[in-house]
Amino acid sequence: MTILDHVFASAQKFPDKPAIIHHGQEITYSRLYLMMKECRPLPIPLLGEGWDKTFCLHTTGTTGQAKDVLVSQQAVIANSENLIKAQGFSSDTVFVLAGALDHLGCWSKIFPVLMCGGTLIVLDGLKDMDAFLSAFDYPSSHLATFLVPAAIRMLLRFDAGRLARYADRIEFLETGAAAISQADMQQLCTILPNTRLYNTYASTETGILCTYNFNDGECIPGCVGRPMHHSRVFITPEGQIACQGPMLMSGYRGDEASTCRVLREGTFYTADNGRIDEHGRLHILGRRDDVINVGGYKVAPTDVENAALTFPSVADCICVPVEHPITGKALKLLVVPAEGVEYSPKPLALFLKSCLQPYQVPLFYQQVERIERTPNGKLNRRFYAGK
Amino acid sequence: MKEEIRNLIEDALPLVDLDSDFLFTDLDSLGITSIMMILSEHYDIPLEHKDATPRNFKNLESLAQMVQKKLEEKG
Repeated sequence: MTILDHVFASAQKFPDKPAIIHHGQEITYSRLYLMMKECRPLPIPLLGEGWDKTFCLHTTGTTGQAKDVLVSQQAVIANSENLIKAQGFSSDTVFVLAGALDHLGCWSKIFPVLMCGGTLIVLDGLKDMDAFLSAFDYPSSHLATFLVPAAIRMLLRFDAGRLARYADRIEFLETGAAAISQADMQQLCTILPNTRLYNTYASTETGILCTYNFNDGECIPGCVGRPMHHSRVFITPEGQIACQGPMLMSGYRGDEASTCRVLREGTFYTADNGRIDEHGRLHILGRRDDVINVGGYKVAPTDVENAALTFPSVADCICVPVEHPITGKALKLLVVPAEGVEYSPKPLALFLKSCLQPYQVPLFYQQVERIERTPNGKLNRRFYAGK
Repeated sequence: MKEEIRNLIEDALPLVDLDSDFLFTDLDSLGITSIMMILSEHYDIPLEHKDATPRNFKNLESLAQMVQKKLEEKG
């Protein structure tokens, strides 16, 4: 079955039910099916050639380099079945989508909702947090949403009281893409005592692998739970998390060499280290590379450095992670100015903004006399770690 | 107060154009939240997301007015 077949099945069961609500406009299942069949534009991105073909998502996650990930219909359906079984999506589910729809966290929720005959409320991001919270006024006690840890931190910092007022309406909330602090996990458990709160392990390449309801009395940080229905997860002798199953990507578009580095004989090797406990639950122990996770977006510091080095007033530089109260980590660029050229961080920041993705632009800049390097001339990232 | 707010924000968010009259449009959700956090902590005033309106975040002047109002409410 294709996704279109699943939506057809939902349209037969719930023809007049709203499938998507966007800007107050409702698209019923019968209308949605016709729109998809005729390939008409929808208020959610297709990210592929059509609803019966392979999808293509952009990512930097596992390899740290920007790539197009090919995700088959079979993988999308396997991911959706994983979520439906593990998190309890149903025809009653009303899922509020407020994050970036080209990001797996939100994009992956479109399909299980439509396959079950639930309703999607699609918002224009989280900039208007008031609009996001108002979405929970929708008359249902089966509301759900996905938020990256940075967005959860924003909500808890400024609107915890208002979020608590929706405690009886929010059936489940999922987070992922970055580590959530134990303090935020515990605060969520306190203000949403009856809500299932999931911390999920997933990536564009692997699909949705494991999930853990941390509102279980234990609230274990770093735990992402057991593998889902279609997923098999194991740890290599080197401590690396590897996985198998029909939810894996087909490969990187036009890049067989990179594909072979991570996907071999049906096994995908992630960039994370982990361990599996005596209950079969996966625990994330950190990344194996230099990639910096900024609020759920993975940034390869070399991308930032290579862009900065093309700016005339930069002689040398290194991009390092620093602590940030909302995103967990933020980017800082240490810059050695070129001789005889006037250096100012603002023009450099504006230049980087013009040639990088918004999440790749460092928030902080510091002028330094030299950049520490290893004896063989490579940037000494270890020297700057934790500084 | 306006200049103090300018310095506070410029230190933390060097990319923000504080001479803009369209701050709310220019900022993303992280930028808005960061400014709220900076102002809330520096002036010890309670701010919520309902304060993050296009009117309050129009420009530096409107941010200063919002802070002044919150300080007066605090007494």
